[in-house]
Parts: sequence; structure tokens; C-alpha cells
Amino acid sequence: MTESIVIALLVTGLAFSLSGVVGILRMPDLYTRIQCSSKTITMGALPTLVALVVAEGPISVFGSRALIVAFLLVVVNPLSSHALARAAYKAGIPMWEGAVVDEPADRRRLAKASIEEDDDVLGH
Amino acid sequence: MSAVYVAVCLSELAIGSLLVIRLTLGPTTSDRLVALNTLATQSTLAVLFFAAFAQRTIYLDISLWLCSFSYLATIVWSRYLERGLL
Repeated sequence: MTESIVIALLVTGLAFSLSGVVGILRMPDLYTRIQCSSKTITMGALPTLVALVVAEGPISVFGSRALIVAFLLVVVNPLSSHALARAAYKAGIPMWEGAVVDEPADRRRLAKASIEEDDDVLGH
Repeated sequence: MSAVYVAVCLSELAIGSLLVIRLTLGPTTSDRLVALNTLATQSTLAVLFFAAFAQRTIYLDISLWLCSFSYLATIVWSRYLERGLL
């Protein structure tokens, strides 16, 4: 019974890891690749670690370390992806040409337009 | 159970070795960083499962180290890309 649960969790985790890596290879630009790297890879790592916990028991040597690694991954992976995406956006790495939403650029354009309007009102 | 562990370890390594393609091709530095970050996660899992296969607790420290310090490397690199050497 335990063994079948472990194998089901492992297969789920490895399938998600494989699809995440294929996404990183095939996605068209950096931001979509970051999405694959943060969400799908974390979702692939967590069932694998839970499988080790189920197999070894949560207070055994390996199970406790697997829990620590799972906690670290959940805390750390979104943080590093966010920092990386922010740095890439500020460094001006272009989006895929099919991308439809760029909210910071829209906001900047709006702010610029309203400033020009104010100048017109003040000038005349 | 140890056969399952070594199979998981090897398949994580095989999945991670696909990332070397993105690591070499990647048009920008940030693409390479994404691949490197993911490779660190996959190798964390591989080392953890190898430790469970070999029943050696000393390898667990390596997996914890990889997990925490790859994060630091990504943070430092993105700081560098965002605002230069300072």
C-alpha cells in the first residue's frame, strides 16, 4: 500500500518535472520560461519529496531532510523567480512579439500622457 | 525500495541534462540563469534520492546546501543584472 502511494507520487512529480523542463526548452521568451521554472518545477519537486517522506517516515533522517528541502523550495523558488523576472524587465529584455499585456509600460504611458496634459493647461 | 530511489535519481539527472541545451543556447544571461536555477533544483532532488539509496547521511548536507545556495546565487545575479556591480 505504502509502496503504491510512493510510486504514484514519484510518477506525478517526475511527469511535472519533465513537462517543466520541456517548457523551459520550448517557450518563446524569458518570462514564460520563468513561469515554467517557478510553478511547474516546484509542483514537480514537491510530490517527489512527499514520496520520500511517505516511504521513510517524517521523523526519520531522510524524511526530515526532505521536509526541510520542501519548505526551502516553497519559500525560495518564487522569491528567486520574482527577483529574476524583475531584473530582466528592468534590464529591458523584450517580450515575445505575441504578448498582449505589458501593464508597467501601459501605466508609464498613461502617466506621461497626463503630465503632458497638465503642461498644456499650464502653458496656455 | 532502493531500486526505486536510484531510478528516481537517474531520471532527475536525465531531466536535468535536457536543461544543458537551454544553458548553452539561451539568448540572454537571464535565460541561462533560469536553466541554472532549475538544474540546481533537479540536482537537489537527485542528491537527496542518492543519499536515500546509498543510506549515507553525509550527502543530505550537500542537497540542503544546493537548495539554499542556488537561491542566493540567483538573487545576487539578478541584483547584478538590475543595477550593476554595486
